[in-house]
Amino acid sequence: MTRRRLAAATAFLAVVALAALAPFLLGPYLVGVALDLLMWIALAESWILLSGMTGYISLGHAVFFGTGGYVMVLAWGVLPFWLVVPLGGLVAGLLALAIGYPCLRVRGPYFVILTFGVAEFAKFVVVAIEAGLGKAGRLMFGAPSLDELYFVMLALAAAAFVIADCVRRSRFGAGLRAIREDEDAAETIGVPTTRFKILAYTLSAIIPGMVGTVMVLRSTYFEPLQVFDPLISFTIVTMAIIGGSDGAPGPLMGAVFLVSLSELLWANLPEVYMILLGALLVGFVLGAPDGIHGWIRARLARRGA
Amino acid sequence: MDSLLSGQLLVATLVVGALYALVALGLNLIYGTMRLLNIAHGDLVMLGAYVSYWGFSLASVSPLVSMFVAMALSALLGMAIYVVLVRRALHSTALVARIEANSLLIFFGVSVILQNTAALLFTANPRAYAYLDQVIRIGDAAISANRLVVLVVALVVCVAAILYLRLSMTGLAIRALIQERDAARLAGIEPERIHLLSFALGFAMAALAGSLISMIQQVSPFMGFPFTIAAFVIIILGGLGNLMGSLIGGFLLAAIETYGVALTSASFRSILIYGVFIAVLVWRPQGLFGGARVAR
Repeated sequence: MTRRRLAAATAFLAVVALAALAPFLLGPYLVGVALDLLMWIALAESWILLSGMTGYISLGHAVFFGTGGYVMVLAWGVLPFWLVVPLGGLVAGLLALAIGYPCLRVRGPYFVILTFGVAEFAKFVVVAIEAGLGKAGRLMFGAPSLDELYFVMLALAAAAFVIADCVRRSRFGAGLRAIREDEDAAETIGVPTTRFKILAYTLSAIIPGMVGTVMVLRSTYFEPLQVFDPLISFTIVTMAIIGGSDGAPGPLMGAVFLVSLSELLWANLPEVYMILLGALLVGFVLGAPDGIHGWIRARLARRGA
Repeated sequence: MDSLLSGQLLVATLVVGALYALVALGLNLIYGTMRLLNIAHGDLVMLGAYVSYWGFSLASVSPLVSMFVAMALSALLGMAIYVVLVRRALHSTALVARIEANSLLIFFGVSVILQNTAALLFTANPRAYAYLDQVIRIGDAAISANRLVVLVVALVVCVAAILYLRLSMTGLAIRALIQERDAARLAGIEPERIHLLSFALGFAMAALAGSLISMIQQVSPFMGFPFTIAAFVIIILGGLGNLMGSLIGGFLLAAIETYGVALTSASFRSILIYGVFIAVLVWRPQGLFGGARVAR
């Protein structure tokens, strides 16, 4: 087992090192695509910390992405870039802590629609604030170069993957998965369910907040309807479900798959891409609820037995 | 302040409220009988609206006629979705354990498919037609004839649906299934038949609302989403599975929206709706009228 872990860790480092070469080998367009891919990996890996492990599906993760973006907008020109990135994560984490307590008291469908409601509420509050300030979209001048943003995003995606993997293997992760299987039973055998859920929710918000700070600089302008777009939340969910949400490899596979599909179709046939996205989501929920990763694992286990 | 007491806002509240109630009633019927969260519900409103729009602009068919076509098509779509997708989920032990969350994902997929198919076929441009748009005065309130028609039809159908669910044998079976699943089964109610019927009824009511809305509002592929949200707010206000609560909740949300916007400004409309939504979910997830048991 330890040898397999060592091999996996080596492979992971090799992939990260290879990804770090991208800006030197690829043109700006492909680096942009790779940046998008890393963004989705970071977001989807963070999402499974709560939603994959406990089954409490968050349909509003765009709120953390958007919060990070807004922190960057407000701090731009005041604080240096490298300070605002962790600050965005901190603010998003605090926001999750604040909304986690009331939200995580309710279970099942209530939680899902509540997370969505909170995200939309935050979006319209920011829209109202911006309108009150008399700003209709802001331009961000002097953003770091694409390559710099790419390296920051690579670090975030790698961190999100490692965190998801470590949590999945830890006692904490075992507790979270016990909540998913039977919350009352988990509580009975001594899992501090409320504390674990809030901790997982907070943890799952920090990296998306940091990702938001980077992406707002990538697009060089800020429009609240865009960074708080519910489509971001839905895409995260779809990636994690298609890839598999019980372990770090799943969201990675889902993100690679959907970003490739989007590259093929989005520019010319956006409606077809969205229709396929919907069909894939329905198909995976009904036919392969453990996603691509779960399906591969089941196949391997069958061959091994 | 005078304007707040005028009939104008009251009329607006009634029209919006009747439409909201119609949409929410169908959503709640499907939730109540099967615990499914149909996040694609608003997209059926969109389908109904397109049927009436095309009927009127291609063949000058009155929306009051084409609404029956819209209802029939939507009911068929509902039954097809039930047979192809939902029955499988309800019968799978792995999926049924978290049926609400899973149904939400499935219907989100359905919603994306419906919206984008409409965008592909009809383009994303908003469309509208003029039908019965002369203005009628009642007391100090002015209302266009089409709004009056919308109000009357929506109200009649809501009341008829409630009466049907309260008085008819099938309606009683539906309500029995909502209140006591297992006991209803023991009493000889076939859940399968009721599920299919709930889908047909819920989908037809949403499409009817769409046909009506097309008379007074622009039609576009993405018009349904705000109705989905409103309907969710309403069934949570009125209580999940509480059908009468949906009717009251519809008018309540319409009043909050209309008067709230009149007191503040139109840009606060969404903040208001989501604010009510979050407040009710956090403080009274069992709905304002309590009573009904909540699966928490």
